[in-house]
Amino acid sequence: MRDLAVRLAALDEDAGAALRVIAYFDGLIEAGAGLQSIVRGAAVLADCPARLDDEARRVHIRVLPDGVPSPAPLAADKAWPHLAAGSVTLRLERSGPPGPVDAMVLERAVSAARTVLDRTRGRAPAADTTALVELLIDAAGPADARLLAARHLGLPADTPAYVLVRPEGVFINVDEPTSGRAGIGPAVPVLELPASHLAARTALRFTAAGTEEDPGPQVVSYAELGALAALATVPDPGAVPDVQALEHAAAAAPWLLQTLHAVTTTTSLRAAATTLRVHHSTLQDRVIHAEHLLGWSIRDPHGCLRTQLALALRRLHRNP
Amino acid sequence: MTTTQAPPPPFDPELAAALNAVADQIPSSVTPEQIPLMRQGGGALAQLAAPDLTRDGRFTVEDRTVPGPDGAPDISLLICRPTGTTGTLGCVYHTHGGGMIVGDNRSGIGEMLDWAERFGLVVVSVEYRLAPETPHPGPVEDCYAGLVWTAAHATDLGYDPDRLLVAGASAGGGLAAALALLSRDRGGPSLLGQMLIYPMLDDRNNTPSAIQMAGRGVWDRTSNQTGWGALLGDAAGGPDVSPYAAPARATDLSNLPPAYIDAGSAETFRDEDVAYATHIWQSGGRAELHVWPGGFHGFDLMVPTAAISQDAREARLHWLNRLFNA
Repeated sequence: MRDLAVRLAALDEDAGAALRVIAYFDGLIEAGAGLQSIVRGAAVLADCPARLDDEARRVHIRVLPDGVPSPAPLAADKAWPHLAAGSVTLRLERSGPPGPVDAMVLERAVSAARTVLDRTRGRAPAADTTALVELLIDAAGPADARLLAARHLGLPADTPAYVLVRPEGVFINVDEPTSGRAGIGPAVPVLELPASHLAARTALRFTAAGTEEDPGPQVVSYAELGALAALATVPDPGAVPDVQALEHAAAAAPWLLQTLHAVTTTTSLRAAATTLRVHHSTLQDRVIHAEHLLGWSIRDPHGCLRTQLALALRRLHRNP
Repeated sequence: MTTTQAPPPPFDPELAAALNAVADQIPSSVTPEQIPLMRQGGGALAQLAAPDLTRDGRFTVEDRTVPGPDGAPDISLLICRPTGTTGTLGCVYHTHGGGMIVGDNRSGIGEMLDWAERFGLVVVSVEYRLAPETPHPGPVEDCYAGLVWTAAHATDLGYDPDRLLVAGASAGGGLAAALALLSRDRGGPSLLGQMLIYPMLDDRNNTPSAIQMAGRGVWDRTSNQTGWGALLGDAAGGPDVSPYAAPARATDLSNLPPAYIDAGSAETFRDEDVAYATHIWQSGGRAELHVWPGGFHGFDLMVPTAAISQDAREARLHWLNRLFNA
């Protein structure tokens, strides 16, 4: 009956709308729909562009609210409503207030997409990703083989890419992790990824666990290191006297390293106290104590630099 | 026949999902008692809010009253003319759908306006009287009177009379097919083509697809009986039904304008639409047939975003492009 046109996009805000979303995605799964249908469902029901990204499986699908597939023109905005399950992330490209069924659409669509991906592509990430990445960061590899590897990894030859190194492995063009250490190399043409890889490894050495005994940033970008990067060439940073002084002082006062990091990376003692969540006067006492243990001032500019360098060298020593 | 016992073809996944989501609002079976309610619309069943037919001034819109059939009331034509187009215009004469029992000349107008913008067409959509208040031949004669007026006023409307097309969906597809037959048999307007979108053609309502889809999808066998019963009364399915009421009854399908016919594989009209195309070819005529797998009746109207709906609409554009620009 053609006049019974129902526009699914016009779902109203009542409780029935959520039930219709559930029924829609249940229907898709029951009928054996593919990934694009699922993303299209999300775009139509949420009435905004929707995109599905699975970096590990190298799956990228984007559909506009009129149902037409369209490649992503822009990088994803972290503020968009999104939901991840396993390696699958579904995003609704909406910057304003959330739509009435956004949350339900995300939940059902991600669940449906994961079902399809696990069924059709296997649970494991694409098998030879690691080998391809290794080829791509090997400066000794032939250029044509590296370009081929880039293509297999879905990296356009004319778009800059960057390497991100984590203790557990090497990644290309992935977002920085929300936890854990990572070093990020500069964005370069794909054939120069070996250089980005070296830079990322260097950056990783400057990262810290972010704990009391290893305070500092968990994620470091090589580009932001500047001249500090030159410290990475020091042959035995643990042998530098100031680093040994830090270790001795830290053994005597467990709060010392975190306090030094806070004092030398904030603009005032008051801000440092806030970061450390201690009282201003407590911090003043600690600073005096620390200066006594170390044998140098940590507040005048020179002493601050000396402390920063010692902390950086200590990280390099811990991350050989 | 064992084939009639076979399970129906599955719906396309995206169409199945949409149907699943609005199942409570789309009854498969429409009975005569439901006609008044259907005409009122309401809820999600209501037609989309009155669209801006001028499309921000790209069309002039006019409702013109013109003479109806001999001895019958005047009829109203919705006339939408593109404002920005230079060059030769064509014309699509539209007969709306609605099972012969509901709808008006705004129903389904969106796709006509899309074509008009794409190919430079005047859109004329006829307000014919509905069954059961007006049984056959009232509705089709209203449509024919409007077509004759439209053809005679090509200059007035500003289009080339050699570029006049009839088009309609569902019951409107059946009416468009009947207009092609009437024009041929009465020496009426010369038509460039007939666009029959899942047309309602056969009052006998007993094809394998009608039987397979009973109680399922959209516009099932019961609904179809409601529509034909309203138009033809007790004559529906009997020996004396005019081909101008039910074009599937025509024995001669030669010398007709080129036809475009589509249907879903999971709808009541599948087999009568395929048979109509086959009959045209067997009569030495020109027809293009598309059967969209897993499509229910009106799938592209109800779920325009589905991949298969986009493809179905694209296929119509391809045919129109060959018709107007070849």
